[in-house]
Amino acid sequence: MQRRGVLFGLGAALTLPALPARATASGIPAEAVVHDWYRLILELVRHTATYTPPVASRAFAYVGLSLFEALAARPETALLSLTGRVNSLPATPTAAPGLDPAAVAHGALCRAVEVFFVNTGPTGQRAMAAMKKRISDKLASGLPAPALAAGVAHGEAVFAAINDWSQSDGGAVVENMGFPMDWTLGTQPGAWKPTSLIRLQQAPLLPNWGKNRTFTMESGASATIADPTPYSEDPASQFFLEAKEVYDTTRALTDEQKIIARFWSDDPMLSPTPPGHWVTIANDLLEEEGADVERRAEVMALLGMTVADAFIACWHSKYDFDTVRPVTYIKAFIDKTWEPLLITPPFPEYPSGHSTQSGAAEVVLAHCFGADFAFVDATHEDEGFEPRPFANFRAAAEEAGISRLYGGIHFMPAIVKGLDQGRVVGAFATRLQTRKAA
Amino acid sequence: MLKHLLASAALIPLAAWADMAPAPPVVPKFVAEEAGVSSVFAGDWQYMVGGGASAFDCSGDGMPDLFTASGEGPSSLWRNESAIGGALKFSKVESGLEIDSVTGAYPLDIDNDGITDLAVMRVGENILMRGLGECRFEPANKDWGFDGGDAWSTAFAATWEKGQDWPTLAIGNYIDRKEEAFPWGSCTDNWLHRPDARAFAAPLPLTPSFCALSILFTDWNRSGTPSLRVSNDREYYKKGQEQMWEVLPGQPPRLLTPADGWARLRIWGMGIASHDLNGDTYPDYYLTSMADNKLQVLKDGAAKPAYADVAFARGVTAHRPYTGDDLRPSTGWHAQIEDVNNDGLPDIWVVKGNVDRMPDFAQADPNNLLLQGADGVFVESGDKAGVASMKIGRGGVLADFNMDGALDMAVVNRRENVELWRNEAAGGGEAIQVTLRQAGANRNAIGAWVELRAGDRTDRKEITVGGGHMSGVFGWWHFGLGQATEAEVRVIWPDGTTGAWQKVTPGFWLLERDKDATAWTPGTPAP
Repeated sequence: MQRRGVLFGLGAALTLPALPARATASGIPAEAVVHDWYRLILELVRHTATYTPPVASRAFAYVGLSLFEALAARPETALLSLTGRVNSLPATPTAAPGLDPAAVAHGALCRAVEVFFVNTGPTGQRAMAAMKKRISDKLASGLPAPALAAGVAHGEAVFAAINDWSQSDGGAVVENMGFPMDWTLGTQPGAWKPTSLIRLQQAPLLPNWGKNRTFTMESGASATIADPTPYSEDPASQFFLEAKEVYDTTRALTDEQKIIARFWSDDPMLSPTPPGHWVTIANDLLEEEGADVERRAEVMALLGMTVADAFIACWHSKYDFDTVRPVTYIKAFIDKTWEPLLITPPFPEYPSGHSTQSGAAEVVLAHCFGADFAFVDATHEDEGFEPRPFANFRAAAEEAGISRLYGGIHFMPAIVKGLDQGRVVGAFATRLQTRKAA
Repeated sequence: MLKHLLASAALIPLAAWADMAPAPPVVPKFVAEEAGVSSVFAGDWQYMVGGGASAFDCSGDGMPDLFTASGEGPSSLWRNESAIGGALKFSKVESGLEIDSVTGAYPLDIDNDGITDLAVMRVGENILMRGLGECRFEPANKDWGFDGGDAWSTAFAATWEKGQDWPTLAIGNYIDRKEEAFPWGSCTDNWLHRPDARAFAAPLPLTPSFCALSILFTDWNRSGTPSLRVSNDREYYKKGQEQMWEVLPGQPPRLLTPADGWARLRIWGMGIASHDLNGDTYPDYYLTSMADNKLQVLKDGAAKPAYADVAFARGVTAHRPYTGDDLRPSTGWHAQIEDVNNDGLPDIWVVKGNVDRMPDFAQADPNNLLLQGADGVFVESGDKAGVASMKIGRGGVLADFNMDGALDMAVVNRRENVELWRNEAAGGGEAIQVTLRQAGANRNAIGAWVELRAGDRTDRKEITVGGGHMSGVFGWWHFGLGQATEAEVRVIWPDGTTGAWQKVTPGFWLLERDKDATAWTPGTPAP
């Protein structure tokens, strides 16, 4: 809990005295500005009703990219603008020399939060206003007013440009919490069927999300995936065996497996969502490392874009294959009384969204921190889960994937192939050059 | 056998099929009336929840008067001056209830003196207001040893534990209002105020608490001892879920767990209404939320508190507006289950309204009037009945204000005036309304069950104080009769004693323990 506390200024800087890159002249380090806004973003994701995982991933991408581009425009920076290398990203406003990075970061992030979370409730609005005031006051305590205004204005201008660009990506408008008002179910054998008794969820979530513009790859079809196991109701078939595997596994879950299922469940509106889980990990690790503001921007931009692309690729595949969930099949052909441990998400099964986006996050975070970087994931300490240690990001991604088998909501191929698909997506992000040549 | 049935069915002409479909429920006719009530639930962030109304007799004429919360402004009490069967008419009375920062209030007779008191919930110190008669009240926290605390109180319920002369009060509290930047996860403790002789002991914290917006003492398994059902707002809790506390006399409250059969449910819990809708003798629970609402029925009998959600099957998800152009998901608050068309089948009423101006949810969000059909499926009828208000509703009451046997309606709105509707024509039949009385403690028999048998149908109602959304009714308990012209009624008293069946006819009846039912005539002093 304490490790994710709000930093707000000098106190935090004093705990990290060996960091020459930290700017303190502004009254609050730029690093604290980034950390604290991300802390709030991770709460707002939970408390904004439209923020299902795909929608959340989109916000993480644009917020991270806005921060990155705002800082990258400064002549003094080591960062290299991604204009021309991220899909159709336009040139963003240039910056005069000497802008304060904390003010720039605040300008970009504050406007990004105000725009991306405009739909949050009155408490979220109040929290946003409180955060804006507290950071602004801190900045004002150390910066001359013109310097503060110039830095903030640049950050806001960069965000405005990116926000304009975002409007054409296909995901800017989400209505009815992402569920189409009308939907015709597939009629082929093994087609997805609604799995809940919630009226809103009788149509699947965001069926056109896979057509959205991607960031680091050409399109949602760029990360191909193997076909799912052919549907069959024959007890001797591979499909039946895979369903039986879900059934048998969930009926014999260990306590540890139940914890794993719940730890990674990351339900929308009850958590920061699956992409937010990875962003939480990154925000914590960057804080523990004492990373400078540019590194934070770099990690958050790459991570945000890759989880966003992963959801687009995954959704492209989900609605291409349109496959049935375990709960539907098992109740029909194996045991009508069976219930999965987790609530089955309201959209087609193959591939697993958790797995795809975790595979992508694994690749990007391994790129940023190292393939053998061991860490502790404390994302759900507030929810009463013990922090979970991992030997590396791959181990965490694979646990996120297998959690969906334990939860009873995915067949194994959706997990294995989903992770593979995500790793392909992640590789597109890590090919981006984010720093100027030395 | 199945083949035979199908073959027989094939011979039935289509017209006959249509005849076999249950007739749609009779739609009551409501008329909006000014009624002289001017009260707005006002205030900003701290008043985004709450906004209750209460109906109870403060004047001694047997007619329900009306209390309305006004948020940051002073609450008010409205004396019922409606003519019997006539238009609704209220006048404001100086009562001592002109209190600011009120989220809602629940009527009950705390000190058992025969005069209704009021538990006033506030943003700040809660106040027990002792009824003095003639619609006058005075603060009684000091005299009754009641620690009103300093919280954002948003739910209330009361029960009389066995052996106690005074009630046990449960108060639900919301988030820590001092938390500004990160209020999530700051739910403050709910409290259990148990009696200590003719006063209250220090409150017990009901830890963990998860931002309750409705609580209800209810005997979910008919054990004879009510438990405390808590509906929590998932917007603010961490580790949270819906809750049920076992509250056994003389013992610390115990939270029911999966080992008891309790299953985790996490919703934006905002209101609880209960009634035995499926005739299994156990209370079912309607839980309001954002988007889909829930209707829970006990699925494995009394042995464990395991519930199935049958809202979809019974047509009561009420997840989005049913009229108007705004099709975004709904936001439900107060709910009450009563027979508004007097057809003998209880109906579900839901007060709706956006939290504030949340764009993902309907802004024009009509209140629901879900009329139960003979097949157990409910039919939305709010627009046809004339009560599809698009204002930002919060609390409300269904009560027979003009004593004509049909339940009228009052709704408290955020930032707009209270609305009242007179039920001009229930349409489905007449009604019997009863009030309970017993000697000694718990004079009004809170926790009793009233059963009414008319024709081949038995309706049963648990007598409670609590639930809804910061709104409560006290005094008369209403049963529609349908086509029946008489009925039998009996009371299962809070101590488990079952009274005899007694014949009653449409009208008002005093059911006094160990005595014959006594008819009461409106216009005469309260029974």
